[in-house]
Amino acid sequence: MSGGSLAAGIAATLPALGNKTHDNNDFTGSNPGIIDTNVNLFKWPFRRMKYGETRSLVAKLRKHRITKAWAGNFEALFSKSINDVNGRLAEECRVNGGGMLVPFGTVNPAWPDWEEDLRRCHEVYRMPGIRLYPTYQTFDLNHPEIPRLISQASERGLIIQIVGDMEDSRVHHPIVLTRELSFDPLVEIMKNIPKAKVQLLCWNERVSNELLKKLISETSIVLDISWLESTGALGRMIEGNRWSGPEAPVPVERLLFGSHAPLFPVETAVIKLFESPLTLEQMKAVMNVNAGRFIKHV
Amino acid sequence: MNSTEFALNPAYYGIPDQQQLKDLRIWSDHYHGFAGGLKQHKEMMFYVERMGIEKVISLDIGSIEEDALVPSPIDNEEREILEKNKNKILGIIRIDPGFPNESCAKMERWIRNGPCIGIKYLLQKDGITCSHPNSDPIVRLAAELGAPIYIHSWLKVGGTPRSPGGGRSPGEATPMDVAVLAKRFPNVPMICGHSGGDWELGARAIRPYENVLFEFAGSYPHSGSVDYAVNELGADRIVWGDHGPGRSFATELSKVLDASLSHSDRMKIFGGNYRRTWAKLFRDKGIPT
Repeated sequence: MSGGSLAAGIAATLPALGNKTHDNNDFTGSNPGIIDTNVNLFKWPFRRMKYGETRSLVAKLRKHRITKAWAGNFEALFSKSINDVNGRLAEECRVNGGGMLVPFGTVNPAWPDWEEDLRRCHEVYRMPGIRLYPTYQTFDLNHPEIPRLISQASERGLIIQIVGDMEDSRVHHPIVLTRELSFDPLVEIMKNIPKAKVQLLCWNERVSNELLKKLISETSIVLDISWLESTGALGRMIEGNRWSGPEAPVPVERLLFGSHAPLFPVETAVIKLFESPLTLEQMKAVMNVNAGRFIKHV
Repeated sequence: MNSTEFALNPAYYGIPDQQQLKDLRIWSDHYHGFAGGLKQHKEMMFYVERMGIEKVISLDIGSIEEDALVPSPIDNEEREILEKNKNKILGIIRIDPGFPNESCAKMERWIRNGPCIGIKYLLQKDGITCSHPNSDPIVRLAAELGAPIYIHSWLKVGGTPRSPGGGRSPGEATPMDVAVLAKRFPNVPMICGHSGGDWELGARAIRPYENVLFEFAGSYPHSGSVDYAVNELGADRIVWGDHGPGRSFATELSKVLDASLSHSDRMKIFGGNYRRTWAKLFRDKGIPT
């Protein structure tokens, strides 16, 4: 059991702060659930995942008070049979998702007739969004089909998630050489398609300070927190006071909870909420308010 | 908000609250608070307190970042902090096997006759790694002092053809370098830092050498990684570090909290193993354990 005997005792243990927070709110009944915008199903090609079976992942997410999880499919990284990948994902979420998992299929705009995959995601599988993996699907955001894809997805009211990294490139299997990726083209694309709803996942290694400023000030892009690193990073990013890396402040409204499970422990993203001295309103925003608002309009 | 205030109860979300973290008696063997100067250290201590960490061990004492043998402009302040705060902060100095005599002299100043407890190998500017014969007098002196030996190690993929470790930086040890050194000194405990970066291969490299402890710190978190290391090496051979401020406590704590461990094994990894392995040194130096 993740968390072991320590976690087993948690439910039965009186919290250190009693039943009140510092601002005297009752814990009971006022604990918001979490919307996880970044989980993955099926097989990671390079290692068996501890929570790789959907039902065990759902149980794990539930233990950490995740109420909804937006799920992609690891098989999207290498499969050419996109519709098969998306169909299996939708079915898995329906059958084993426990009412928690929300499927986010994929589309590869560099491959023929991607429009049909997009249509099926929307009309056949009733997905609220799609997830793109440019570094594995071998296109960059300068590809001429990208504006068309974002435009068509937006016309359908779909969320578009774009993944920066899946794994630290320093420890890739040597057979894997993923593509370089720049998010820079998104600034102009988003200006031309202002109603597009785009979220970046695992983005942190690929966004400079200058780009982050533009993404925040010139687009409506939102960001997940799964790859956010450094001590107290979440609070310090909101304040624009990071130890190193991008200094641009990121309004809390732009930050959505994402765990990157089952590759990363679910605990990582949960602890980020507590490591920084966030207010209750800030915590709620990241935990579910922002994601709920983002998907509501779909 | 002070370091003990939380807007929500962590335990409700399936993670330890502050008291439960304190009860784990967590010692971080990998603290970089001083690397950014005294102001950074002071800011870092807020998070150390908030996350219930009992003690941190700084790896940046007594030198500038670029050169292990060039004194830091804040040496005096660091020395004073270490002498006055043994209950909270310990210090390790960097050495350079390219210069064994100078390294040993530094160890005499900072460990035998100073507040520090051990040594660290990082990236050596002349490209000599820990496995080089130049290390022998350094390791012999560390053994005499009973001092921890921390070795930064990474297996970065790269090179032509691509291979694990083929992308390493000059003077950067791999876990295989650690293994070579450990084989020469089977009775001297040492730490394979960063779990070798690639923990699946790193654990295999040092597995036969029971004097090597395997450290989780300073890498992205992978679910199942600590389970794997415990299965291959045993819980008695794992140590833990926070690597702040470069990494988050969230990242590093979660590696161990994710693992399916008994409370007792979790305590070993979070500090018990470190306290046990170098218990004599701590007694000799009057460091509370």
